[in-house]
Amino acid sequence: MRFSIYRFNPETDTEPYMQDFELPDSQVEPGMMLLEALLRLKRQDETLSFRRSCGEGVCGSDGMNINGTNGLACVTPLASLKQPITLRPFPGMPVIRDLIVDMGNFYNQYRKAKPYLVINDPVPEVERKQSPQDREKLDGLYECILCGCCSASCPSYWWNPDKFLGPAALLQSARFILDSRDQATSERLEQLDDAYKLYRCHTIMNCVQVCPKGLNPTKAIGEIKKQMLKRSL
Amino acid sequence: MRGGMSGMGAWLWQRLTALYLGAYILVLLLALVFSGGPSAGAWQGWMTHPGVLLASALFLGAWLMHAWIGLRDVVVDYVHPFGARVTVLAAVALFLLTCGIWGTYILIQAASSWA
Repeated sequence: MRFSIYRFNPETDTEPYMQDFELPDSQVEPGMMLLEALLRLKRQDETLSFRRSCGEGVCGSDGMNINGTNGLACVTPLASLKQPITLRPFPGMPVIRDLIVDMGNFYNQYRKAKPYLVINDPVPEVERKQSPQDREKLDGLYECILCGCCSASCPSYWWNPDKFLGPAALLQSARFILDSRDQATSERLEQLDDAYKLYRCHTIMNCVQVCPKGLNPTKAIGEIKKQMLKRSL
Repeated sequence: MRGGMSGMGAWLWQRLTALYLGAYILVLLLALVFSGGPSAGAWQGWMTHPGVLLASALFLGAWLMHAWIGLRDVVVDYVHPFGARVTVLAAVALFLLTCGIWGTYILIQAASSWA
């Protein structure tokens, strides 16, 4: 099985380059995921660097560009990929080394979405209750694992990563705007109402296509716009 | 909602004007197809009808607004250096202004046929 992998070591390389790898068929098992192949390639060349942790699409560490599409290596079956399997770091993010990118800006935008409940009422003696109907509104929003596949595939985020929050952070904005328990809905909506934070989204929908959890940030963004419109009328 | 032409305001106006532009073009095409092959004179007469003329004037305004919001979006996406952005936006504004003045001139000429 042939691979072509983006390599860059800032300590020794002046420029990145693509390196060919070959994984003998004897090492390829049926149903194997891409991450397992990468780990076996790392035995050939220990300098090959990438992030990974849980290996089952929960931690979101091993996001990368696989044959031109962002995805998680651990949940991408090898059999589904055309050879040579081309692996690159996330587009639009600064490369630290090989497939490892600097996600600092991504997390900053996540922080701007204030991803926590803002409640001014005193803390109740029991939990803050929510009806099953209100809880249902958070389905498709709370499952995000912040792998970055969506934001790194979004052209609007590529052009304005410092000002446009990006699909991942906006999905979280929607998650708290739509939460019946949150008491800062107005502030959240007002904060998003400028030319950049939300409205750089042009419904390109790359985010929906790549999300390894099958979430729909475009729909969440539409939901924020709906809430904003409701509030302004 | 923040002052009119950014964020929600711009987004909403872009969609409202799009609806009007679409409806106007559709009605115009239907009128052209189902009016039984009018002569140029009949067509001109229909276009200078006060109601139609008012709709056309609204079309011009909606088109200018729609084009401005859309082109400005493209510039905000891609043109980042301040000087370049101001230059391109000024060129776009000048072009749209010229179109607006020209369109208004045509509308006034059409209206003057009432006299």
